[in-house]
Amino acid sequence: MKLTGIGASEGVAVGPAFVPATDRPEPERDRITEDEVGAELQRFREAVETIAGNLSETADRLRTSGSGEEAGIFEFHVEMAKDPELASAVEERIGHLESPEAAVLAVGEEFAAEYAAMDDEYMAARADDVRDVTGQISAQLIGRSISAFEALKTPSVVLSYSLAPSDTARIQKGMALGFVTAEGSRTSHVSIMARSMGIPAVVGVGPKLDRVLGAQTVAVDGGEGYAIADPDADTVAEFERMSGALAEELAALDEYRHVEASTSEGRRIEVAANLGSVSEAHDALKWGAEGVGLFRTEFLFMERDDLPSEEEQYEAYSAVARAFGEKPVIIRTLDVGGDKDLPGVDQGSEENPFLGWRGIRMSLDTPELFEPQLRAILRAAANGNLKVMFPMVADIGELEAAKAILQKCRRELESEGMDVGEVETGVMIETPAAAVCAGELAEQSAFFSIGTNDLVQYTLAADRSNERLRRLQSADHPAVLALIRRTCEAASAAGIQVGVCGEAAGEPEMISKLVELGVTELSMAAPQIPRAKKVVSEL
Amino acid sequence: MAERETTVGPEEGIHGRPAARLVKAAKGFSSQVVIVKGDREVNAKSVLKITGLARKGEKITIRAEGEDAEQAVEMLAQLIAADEH
Repeated sequence: MKLTGIGASEGVAVGPAFVPATDRPEPERDRITEDEVGAELQRFREAVETIAGNLSETADRLRTSGSGEEAGIFEFHVEMAKDPELASAVEERIGHLESPEAAVLAVGEEFAAEYAAMDDEYMAARADDVRDVTGQISAQLIGRSISAFEALKTPSVVLSYSLAPSDTARIQKGMALGFVTAEGSRTSHVSIMARSMGIPAVVGVGPKLDRVLGAQTVAVDGGEGYAIADPDADTVAEFERMSGALAEELAALDEYRHVEASTSEGRRIEVAANLGSVSEAHDALKWGAEGVGLFRTEFLFMERDDLPSEEEQYEAYSAVARAFGEKPVIIRTLDVGGDKDLPGVDQGSEENPFLGWRGIRMSLDTPELFEPQLRAILRAAANGNLKVMFPMVADIGELEAAKAILQKCRRELESEGMDVGEVETGVMIETPAAAVCAGELAEQSAFFSIGTNDLVQYTLAADRSNERLRRLQSADHPAVLALIRRTCEAASAAGIQVGVCGEAAGEPEMISKLVELGVTELSMAAPQIPRAKKVVSEL
Repeated sequence: MAERETTVGPEEGIHGRPAARLVKAAKGFSSQVVIVKGDREVNAKSVLKITGLARKGEKITIRAEGEDAEQAVEMLAQLIAADEH
């Protein structure tokens, strides 16, 4: 039988079905007596404390392992468990002689019903959160573990009405081959968790799930969004073939994820990730990133009405710094062109935004923008290995001016008694001018990173977004390669690292050329990392 | 009593982690703090109550009564307006 739902996490799997035992605690007593009220109130408060404590521990564990998104879910659950309105409603019911284990379920159900009634997929999903948390408090009061997943001992496809974060967090690694749930949407926790665990999932198949709960075997296609209960031999073979092919493709690269890639001559090439937001950090590490070669900071500034505060930036930079620990993270200061709107800064309208007031040019002219960013980076550097990189540098004067402001910010922070970390400064080589003057810039830089996308566009005078100029949009052009060579030679003479953080860094056919020219680090979209490491290893 | 109007910043409205943060912040003040949207008025220290109260771009009012009312509305207004990423 085929069940159609929402493809929530890609991949295919086939295996034995596992149906967790009922995930709702069932209180045996509904009522208490008048003289038990005091003690039951106390028991309820203690249960809340215990559950909130457990949830906070899980949040901390996820956060330190870099799973910020999942940790956020548990932080939300901590607040739900400790909610004063929940407590007062439950305590009132206890006062009316309801047992606390029944009262907390009833109050949870009231809130859940309110959310479920909202005409909003996201809010409806919150109903599961309330049921999850109140269910845990109730189970704690009854004195039994709520996890039905302790019985999951062989790798299986999990069939369930819904899956709570507390469930997915308890499943042992490798035991879930796939998830099929009756409820849920792409934004449900089960979907988020499934994607982050790389497990295929089909959610929202509806009440039809009931009819397949007795199935022996289940095949699931999380990309297409369907599951087949007790598939025939041909289907099983087909799913096994697909899952094998996918696994093989990934496995062939998988062994490269966490290698430290070196060429056959023994030249070590660091392979790092480009990040566009904090939430990508965890995935990047899983793909094998040895650091962040380019952390774009634009996301902090866009789609809002005001500038982000130093504190907000500090939080964001610290989160990435902590996630990567000792691994280097290169933060690029703001680079917004006149083609994008920046709140709080009058950019005027420009005829040629790509040749306009952007990058370091704007930063140097706008201390109220630049200084909070540098202060946030310096402070966050105390939490990890951060470096700062200036974009769009065209001459040594700009680098000197930027470094002077960085020094000033450091002195100010120190005199304010703030913790600051060591921060190396580098230049993004993306204007032909910077490549030509690389020798001079290298003397005052700790590293270079070549932004090939812009370097190509400026060197070949070819707009990146003009479809007709495709021929002129590749780094594989003698003029661009000559500038890269010049940059690498200058870096080598000064004894500094030189990376590439444009698209060329992730293209297999370009990697050999870049390495040959003297590049020592490649930074790319995280999923390209294993392949790049393989290419380097075969050079 | 202090009062301030603001616009909801986070993409998915008030929910999840932004909601948890908001409640944590509210609990840091001794004042009674409520969030008002239209004719609904809810306890800002309850994540269950504020969840789903408003969507991105909607206007809400924060009202506080107590010793640190001014600081409370100031801080919560900032948090609500901040865009979460």
